[in-house]
Parts: sequence; C-alpha cells; structure tokens
Amino acid sequence: MSEYIVKENALVDFFKSLASGRRLLTPQGLGDKCKLEETPPDKVNLDFSNTHMSPKSLLFPQTEALMAFHNDASKPQAFVYQSLGDKGEPLAVFGIRPCDAKGLSIANKVFQNDRFTDNYWKGKIDQAVLVGLACDNPSPQCFCAAMGGSPFGEAGLDVLAFRQGKDLGLKPLTPKGEELVKASGAQTANLADAIKGLEAEAVKSQGVPPDYKGIDNADLMALFNDPHWLATAENCLNCGVCTFFCPTCHCFDIQDETSEKGGVRMRNWDTCMSWLFTVHGTGHNPRPSKTERVRQRFMHKLKYIPLKQDGVRGCTGCGRCVAMCPVNIDIRSVALKMTQTAASQA
Amino acid sequence: MPALTDITNKIRESAKKLLASGQAEVVIGYRQGTIPMTTSPFFARTADECDLLVWSNFARINLANYLPGRAGKVAMVAKGCDARSAIGQVTENQILKDNLYIIGVPCTGMIDTNLVVAKEARPIREVVETADDSITVKGQGFSTDIKKDEVLRRNCKTCVNRTPKLANELVGQEVNGAAADDFADIKALLAKTPAERMGYFKDLIKDCLRCYACRNACPLCYCPVCFVDETRPQWLGKSTDPMDTMTFHLLRGLHCAGRCTSCGACETACPVNIKVREFNRVMELTVQNNWNYEPGLSWDQKPPLTMFQTDDAADFIK
Ligand code: SF4
Ligand code: SF4
Ligand code: SF4
Ligand code: SF4
Repeated sequence: MSEYIVKENALVDFFKSLASGRRLLTPQGLGDKCKLEETPPDKVNLDFSNTHMSPKSLLFPQTEALMAFHNDASKPQAFVYQSLGDKGEPLAVFGIRPCDAKGLSIANKVFQNDRFTDNYWKGKIDQAVLVGLACDNPSPQCFCAAMGGSPFGEAGLDVLAFRQGKDLGLKPLTPKGEELVKASGAQTANLADAIKGLEAEAVKSQGVPPDYKGIDNADLMALFNDPHWLATAENCLNCGVCTFFCPTCHCFDIQDETSEKGGVRMRNWDTCMSWLFTVHGTGHNPRPSKTERVRQRFMHKLKYIPLKQDGVRGCTGCGRCVAMCPVNIDIRSVALKMTQTAASQA
Repeated sequence: MPALTDITNKIRESAKKLLASGQAEVVIGYRQGTIPMTTSPFFARTADECDLLVWSNFARINLANYLPGRAGKVAMVAKGCDARSAIGQVTENQILKDNLYIIGVPCTGMIDTNLVVAKEARPIREVVETADDSITVKGQGFSTDIKKDEVLRRNCKTCVNRTPKLANELVGQEVNGAAADDFADIKALLAKTPAERMGYFKDLIKDCLRCYACRNACPLCYCPVCFVDETRPQWLGKSTDPMDTMTFHLLRGLHCAGRCTSCGACETACPVNIKVREFNRVMELTVQNNWNYEPGLSWDQKPPLTMFQTDDAADFIK
C-alpha cells in the first residue's frame, strides 16, 4: 500500500467522505472535557493532545445492557433472557492516538481470540474504521516509546494519519482502511521517508526511553515475590482511577437488575484495585490487601499480558494513569523497580 | 530562604528527630511527584528517606487518610484541615492520641492544577516554586508566572483554620486564614426550590464515573466495607444509572455530616473534576446551624451525630 495526501483545502471533503454512510467521531473539547463526539466534517480539530478518557468505551461502554427479559406470563418468552444485540453501527473514528489504538488492539485479543468471541465487542469493532492521528508533539506525560510503541505507531489502526505541514498524510494499514482512503479521493504520494523523519523527531522528544527488557526475561515468581510491593502499594488509595482511564484495562462485572416489569443483565467496568473484585462468596479474599491488588495491576500490565500476547506489554504509555492517579503512583517508577528486581535475580 | 524550602528543611529535621528518638516509627509526609504539579504521599522510616520529604504548593492529599487502624507510633505532616481530620479521627476512636504526632504546617493554601491549566493551556513540563506568592510554569518556549491567589483551590480560599494550632509542633510561621466562611453560595443554593436543588446536584454529578476516588481519598471514609460495596444485601446497583450515582453521593454526604474539614482531598482526587464538596458543605452548614459544631477543633469534642443530649433542640428525639 502506498501513502496518500489530502491537501489543506480538501480536508473538509475528506472528512465528508469519512462521514458518508457512517457517524464521524473525533476528539472535541479541551482538557478534561476532550472526548470523542459526533463531528460535522467542517468542525474537525487537529489541535488536541488526547481525549481525557481512553476510547475503549466506544467498544466496551462502562455500562452495557446485554440481555433482558420481561415477566408478563401472558406473552411469549416470559422470564427468558433475550440478547439486546451488539449495538454496533457504522463509525469512522478519526483522531485516535497510536497509544490508544494499540490499547484497543490489546483488549481486542481478550474479547476475540481462538477460544471465544465476545459478540458485543465484535459487533462494534467490525463496523468501525479507526483512523489514528500520529503525535508530532507528544505531551509531557507520554511514554509510548518506552513501552515499545511510537508516536507514529500503527497497531490497532485501519489508517494512520499524520500532519504533513498543513496537509494531512495518510497511510492505510488494513484493507478496510485502504478502501476508505481510496473512496475519499486522496492523492497517492510517496511519504515513507517523510514519516520516518517525523517519527524520529517525535520519538526524540520523549527522551531516551528507559529499558524495561529485564522484566520480559525475569522469572515471574521472582517479580511476584519481591518485597518492594509493600512500599510500592503503601500510598495507593485503591480508587481504581488508573484502571478506569487505562485503554487496555478490560475487566468487567456482570450484574442482573430487576424491576416490576422484568430484568436486565448488564456488564459494567470493574477494577482490580477494589477489594470487592476478588472477594469470594465464602468471604475469603485471595487479594486481601492493597499490596496484592497493586501488584496484580502492574504484574498484569508488565508480565502476564506480555506472556500471553507475544511480548506486547499491557501498558501502551498513554500516561493517563500517571497524570490521573491522586497519589502519583507512576507505572514508570514501578517498571523500574521491577527491572531492578530482575537484575538482582540475574 | 523561600518559605517552602524553609518548611521542607524543618519537616526533614523534625522527622529525623522523631524517628531517632522512637517517638515515631514512621513519618507520613509528601515527596516530590514524578510529573509537574504533583506530590506523592510518602512513608519515611529512615533518615535517608526523611531527606525525600518536601513541602509544596501541591501537597493536596490529606495524609490523615492513612491513619485509621494504624498500629504503632506515627507522625504525620499536616495542613490546618488535615490536622483537624486527624483530631477528628482521635475523637472517633480511629487512632490513639498517644500514638499520633502531628507536624503542623501553617498553610498558605494549595493550588488547583485545573486553574493553572486554565491560565496556561500549553503542555507544562516544569514548575518552579521558589517565590512565596506565585509559581512559574514552563514548557516548550514559554515561562509563565502565575499568582498563587488566583489559582488556589476553592476550599483553601475560604479556609479559616490554616494554622494547625493543636499540632504537636509547628514548622513555619503562623498564618491567618479567611475571617470566616460565610457559606454564601450554599445559602443561595438552599434558598432555591427542591426541584431546582435536585437539578443542580444532578448536573453536578453527571460525569461521575463512580470510581470512588473521592471516598477513598477522604479521611472520613474509613468504613471497613462501604455501603456501596455491600453485597448481602446489595444496596446499590453497579451501573452508571444516575439514581444509583445520586444515592452514593447523598449517602456519603450524610455519613460525613459534621465531620468534613473541607480539606478538598475528594475534589483533588476526582478525575473528572466534580465539586464533590458541595454535598458536604450543605451538611456542614446544617450541622453548624443546628449544633454550632465544627469538627477537629478540640481533642475531646464529640461529633453531634454520635451523641444524645436531653436538651436537644429537636422534638422527635425526646
Ligand atoms: S494507583 Fe493511584 S489511581 Fe490507581 S488505585 Fe492506586 S491511588 Fe488510585
Ligand atoms: S497503564 Fe497507564 S500509561 Fe499504561 S496504558 Fe494504562 S493508563 Fe496508559
Ligand atoms: S469530604 Fe472531602 S473535603 Fe471533606 S474531609 Fe472528606 S475529603 Fe476532605
Ligand atoms: S471521584 Fe469523582 S468520578 Fe469518582 S466517584 Fe467521586 S465524584 Fe464520581
């Protein structure tokens, strides 16, 4: 696939073509109000840093009703749960950052893999085309490069868009993306070298990435049993903000709620930071204190997910948890401690 | 010497003495955060660790939150509001007075980072805190001075008890707070119709994620199991249903009535910037009006909602 270019004066037409037959969602609003919203093609904003929350709620809403039943015995199928469908719709999402797209690709392997498929996730992602916008000026909180990504990363995207002066460069990455770009009337252009140059500069702005490779090679139990977890977790509030904001956190809780008329089964975001997350019906809790819970979060991100997903880390370096944690527990400092454990074991 | 540096030095000195003399096994303070405009609660147990303690305009989390149920002798660094929370915990039997040592910092107010970002929207890569009445934020190609007065947290603007007078020691010069918190905003709110008030509070929490960071950051919320987490029976749904969310906030407000010291930790912790304290302020005013009570101002006062008096103004109780 070659690259394409959309000239500044053709941008609105490009977004019109994205919006044709689909809803166009792009980041709108500033700071903590920045979120993916339906956008008229002439109102797309390219000057944002990132959405306040990750885009995962597009595919995995905080609350999603999965099934429902009615209790009117005079009608058929009383008291029988019926699926409410996946609620997928044709979407073009423009402006996803590479860290977040990579985050979705990691969660995607949890919801769709060789063992099972979650139709509620699949129904949405199949109808969405994801156009990322590369970061030419990463925020101070970003560390995608340290986590094996890049401000121009491609994982999870159908198309990578990038600013080329005042124009918009496009690199299709999937057949779905190629089709979208071709239909938009964008001009082909050879931009491979331009991308390389822009990417190198953006990566440079994040400084020399720390090396966490030690964690990948370290013995799992050595990392698990290291005494540092006690101190690492000591100031944690167990609030779960880190997990709610993380693009790769995907744990959920299934709940049934009933009313006079029937009931609904829904799926809600859950958080491993909560005491309730692991408590058994007997009252036994295998993760009784915040030390075990904090360890779980970081071991999951930096050791268990890489083991299951061919070395890809469960943290993409979006920096949200670092910025949002009320007590500044910084995954980079924790990764460093884990790297030190690994080194002392070697 | 800038006031913050002076306080930092005195905190370190005091912490070392307390650890060396055995008056404390751990000193809970703040260390510098890993990103600009943050600090991180820090537990110092050795002299070297004491040298990591700092004072800053961003020491916003209330460290009394780490006290309940703690065994052994503990010292904490406390602003005026935080010291009142700790004293409240002593009166609520959450920690023994003899086990607690308060290193009191006369506080000139903490900064709301959202207000800073509202003044300087470009990405901030560094903050300089050497001046007493302003900060300087820096980023790619800019350096902006911001007056501290203009970016104080709203609870700090109306804070009356900035100097923790009941602390075991004070580090730094005593400061005067606001003359009084007149609750003008809350009085105006309470003058509205019930429907208008409901509308106000519904709008206030419309973005709430129910992450419970406000609860977990609050030194009053030390219940072993919060009612929202109870499962047998389950009082509250787990979805984003607005009524469940409202129930959480209303009940939390009631549970904190007469106990909140307006430390602002809840609002600092909230990731979507909800003014959680609105609920608490209504209850504070109500408790002040009914029982002329403010929490954390003496070691032996009893929270009004935990006691019974035969001369109570309310009829139903007699
Ligand atoms: S790491 Fe921070 S954001 Fe996560 S649960 Fe702990 S205090 Fe909350
Ligand atoms: S762990 Fe933190 S930095 Fe990493 S992807 Fe999740 S929210 Fe982003
Ligand atoms: S409710 Fe908020 S302001 Fe009041 S004591 Fe708790 S954290 Fe502090
Ligand atoms: S911290 Fe904010 S978002 Fe979280 S439960 Fe409290 S008010 Fe809601």
